[in-house]
Amino acid sequence: MSPDLAIVIAAVALPFVAAALTPVFFRVLGEGTGFAGTAVALTSFGLLATQYGREGVVGLPWIPSRNIALQFYVDGWALLFALLACGIGALIFTYSPAYMHGESGLVRYYAALFAFMGSIVGVALAADLIAIFLFWELTSLASFVLIGYYTADDSSQYAARMAMFITVGGGLFLLVGFLLLSVVASDILGTGAAFDLTAMLENSDAMQAALRDRGLFLPVLGLLAIGAGTKSAQVPLHFWLPNAMAAPTPVSAFLHSATMVKVGVYFVGRTRPMLVSAEWLFLFATLGLTTMTVCAILAVASTDIKELLAYSTASHLGLMIAGFGFTSVYGAEAGVFHLLNHALFKAALFLVAGIVAHEAGTREIDELGGLRHDLPITAAITTVVALSMAGIPPFNGFYSKELLFEAAVEASHHHDIGILGWLYPAVAVFGSIFTVLYSLKFLSLFFGNRPDGLGQVHRPPITLLIPPAVLGLLAAFVSVDPQQAVDLIVQSGLEATAVDPHEMHVGIPTSYSPALGMSAVTIGIGLLAYPAYGRLHDGIRAIPSAVPQVGANWWYDTVVDGLSDEGRRFAETVHNGMLRTYATWTLGATCALALAGFVAAGAIEPTALGLEVTVPIALVLLVAVIGGVAVVTSESHIAGVLTLSILGFMVAIFYILASAPDLALTQLVVETLVLLIFLLVIEEIPEYYEVGIGRVARDAVLSVAVGATAFVTVLVTTGARPDGPTEIARGYAEQAVPLGGGTNIVNVTLVDFRGFDTLGELAVVALAAISILTLVAMRGRDEGRIGPRGGDRPDEPAGARSDGEPSGGDDE
Amino acid sequence: MTTVIMRTTARAIVPIILVVAISLFFEGHNLPGGGFIGGVLTVTAFAIIYMAFGLDFLERGILGRDVDPGKGPSRDRVVVAYRRLFAYGFAIAVVSGLVPLLFGQPFLSQTFVILEGIPIYDHLEVASALAFDFGVYCVVVGGLLTILSVVGAE
Repeated sequence: MSPDLAIVIAAVALPFVAAALTPVFFRVLGEGTGFAGTAVALTSFGLLATQYGREGVVGLPWIPSRNIALQFYVDGWALLFALLACGIGALIFTYSPAYMHGESGLVRYYAALFAFMGSIVGVALAADLIAIFLFWELTSLASFVLIGYYTADDSSQYAARMAMFITVGGGLFLLVGFLLLSVVASDILGTGAAFDLTAMLENSDAMQAALRDRGLFLPVLGLLAIGAGTKSAQVPLHFWLPNAMAAPTPVSAFLHSATMVKVGVYFVGRTRPMLVSAEWLFLFATLGLTTMTVCAILAVASTDIKELLAYSTASHLGLMIAGFGFTSVYGAEAGVFHLLNHALFKAALFLVAGIVAHEAGTREIDELGGLRHDLPITAAITTVVALSMAGIPPFNGFYSKELLFEAAVEASHHHDIGILGWLYPAVAVFGSIFTVLYSLKFLSLFFGNRPDGLGQVHRPPITLLIPPAVLGLLAAFVSVDPQQAVDLIVQSGLEATAVDPHEMHVGIPTSYSPALGMSAVTIGIGLLAYPAYGRLHDGIRAIPSAVPQVGANWWYDTVVDGLSDEGRRFAETVHNGMLRTYATWTLGATCALALAGFVAAGAIEPTALGLEVTVPIALVLLVAVIGGVAVVTSESHIAGVLTLSILGFMVAIFYILASAPDLALTQLVVETLVLLIFLLVIEEIPEYYEVGIGRVARDAVLSVAVGATAFVTVLVTTGARPDGPTEIARGYAEQAVPLGGGTNIVNVTLVDFRGFDTLGELAVVALAAISILTLVAMRGRDEGRIGPRGGDRPDEPAGARSDGEPSGGDDE
Repeated sequence: MTTVIMRTTARAIVPIILVVAISLFFEGHNLPGGGFIGGVLTVTAFAIIYMAFGLDFLERGILGRDVDPGKGPSRDRVVVAYRRLFAYGFAIAVVSGLVPLLFGQPFLSQTFVILEGIPIYDHLEVASALAFDFGVYCVVVGGLLTILSVVGAE
């Protein structure tokens, strides 16, 4: 049964509409806006739930001429993700009013939260590459606003910029990957399917074969991996995620645990059937397991409960990526099931962390402990979800981690990967040991002794408790009856992401398997090593302070600071306030680009000059050349301007001889005007320049380069016409009278065929006039001294007017 | 450069230039010419006036106003007129482009009609592009003259 277009569109659009209406909500409801958000999120959830069990594509045309459509694909995987976003969104909205009580800027907060939820639902459901990209970047934008919520706080701004920089930058890689995909898809599936992801997935084998044929398989795989990896905080770009904890805790719960960071994982799962291969295994399994291990170790080194959870999120994202990376069906099972489990336990943990921070007033792990007496319900919730995170049976995280172990063991059966067949399971176990460690550490906040420094801890309000309780109950439900959850939603998600889906079964293992042994080792070592947690924590923390290069943050800061410093230095060189410098760089760059373009296009080749030079033309050109030489050698400005005019008039005569009367007319008139203007300003120009030899050399080289470029350009462009005028030129010539009603092709082209260009040129003339007016007016008020810094202009003798020349120089 | 020779020459040639400029503008659709060239030629005529009679001549001699020496050139009445000219010209060009939208045609579509039976001319072609070209003319004249007079006054 195919999905209902109206319902799908409504579910996606509703949060965006709500985002636009947030100021209205806020005026009516005040801080209760969050509950309106709950209603909106639940409505979207309900709308999507009605599509449960349906599968298919629905869409609206968007940019038909480019075959881009606002297309949505509904299946189990998309629904799982979209329902998670809406469901957890509803809980976050419920949690927010109490948590954000008394904060300013709540309109912005809720509006961004609505947009965030809507764009994640959009990514989940979109089936058109352009639409996916759009929603994908919208999530980055919304998260930028949310992470930077505390606008007065520098670290918050830093984190927001970092998240934006990394995720939007990664998105650009994704875009290139999409474009490559669309090129291949439009070749083999027809132009109608150029951006249609569903069509590509339906023809997975053909797409993969075509990608390989064109040598684009690895580039596309790499680009998509960079896009997904940056979004899902994979090593070495994992560092933005822990920094993003600068956001308010409800946002962290939503962003870190449930949704945005999982968009990358989701997309990896989505494209898995199309791209799965040995390279896929190698890339994603390695990436995922590395991230899982590195971030689990870093989580152990954390001192802040939110930091611990943030690193643990990155670690679990690595787990999911690794799951999808393994090509066996267990890999897909691990990925899909863990996506669900992780959302349930991690969102709950973040909300718990929010309660602890809110009620105890601190987030430092060392200052917290024994909270079970103050917060008994929270402690109960935490026990379920923390043990689930640790992967202790029978809690739900255990089942998906078992599947990962199984996939890791299976990997060597499917592909010949040599030593990696042993390394993958070993690393999976090693990373998981740290997972057990930090999960127990988080749990220890509620058990053990209460530190003396911890003051009065209040009971949290009920709206802070309900959301984590709901999530905890769901996690407990999945823990008790995992098969039920699998039948409800995971199985259908598996079918979308696995190549060879089968009936999935999970439950408490009853017989020995390698995966069970690995779990036993993990949990056993984890429990044994827990007493040494303090020493491990200190040991890991000591490494980055000894060798700063180990930390990814250090690289980020170095690169970003270095880039901005370099940028400033570059700007100071190119943009130093002197017209001469601007001209040098502009002309030099133009020449270099034009010549490089010709070389790259292979356009430079020996060309026969197809011009028959008659005696009059030769004479005119000879006079022009003499005029050119005279310009350079002339002693005074007047002589220079006059000789330059000789050159210009000769060119005009050349145009007449070459039967281009219009051009000649323009050239004559403009030449006259330029001569007059030169004569007007000539009194202001200093009589005499003292110019160093270096400058002369530079100017000479530059003028030769410009001349050569112009010459080559003319040769190339005129030589590229083997059979007379091009089609376009012929078209203009033939259509001028019937369509434009004028026999002057030039004018008809200007005002009829290319009217828009002319309009643009008019705008340029108008702008030039306005800017000169402004410059002169500002000078009159003595505000225009933006010129050279410090007045070090050796070109001009002292006392020369410094501003008159630049503003007079660009008037033609 | 306000010599007698210059002034005498200017008196003779400026009207000729202006007439030529206007004719260039009108015949542009079928013969060499058009709004841009007509505009630049017009500006040339004004430039010659400026060179021969000085920058304040138009203000004083034609508009009959005293020039306040302390005032910035961009405040002069002529300059204000030039500024208006290119603003209106731009507006004319844009509006002439918008008109086709009323008839369901794309932006900047042009058409023409040939009127038969006109005395003397026999038939006359009226192209809608003339309005657009007039916009071009105004922008070129207004813009260049603004630049010329403001920079020249410096």
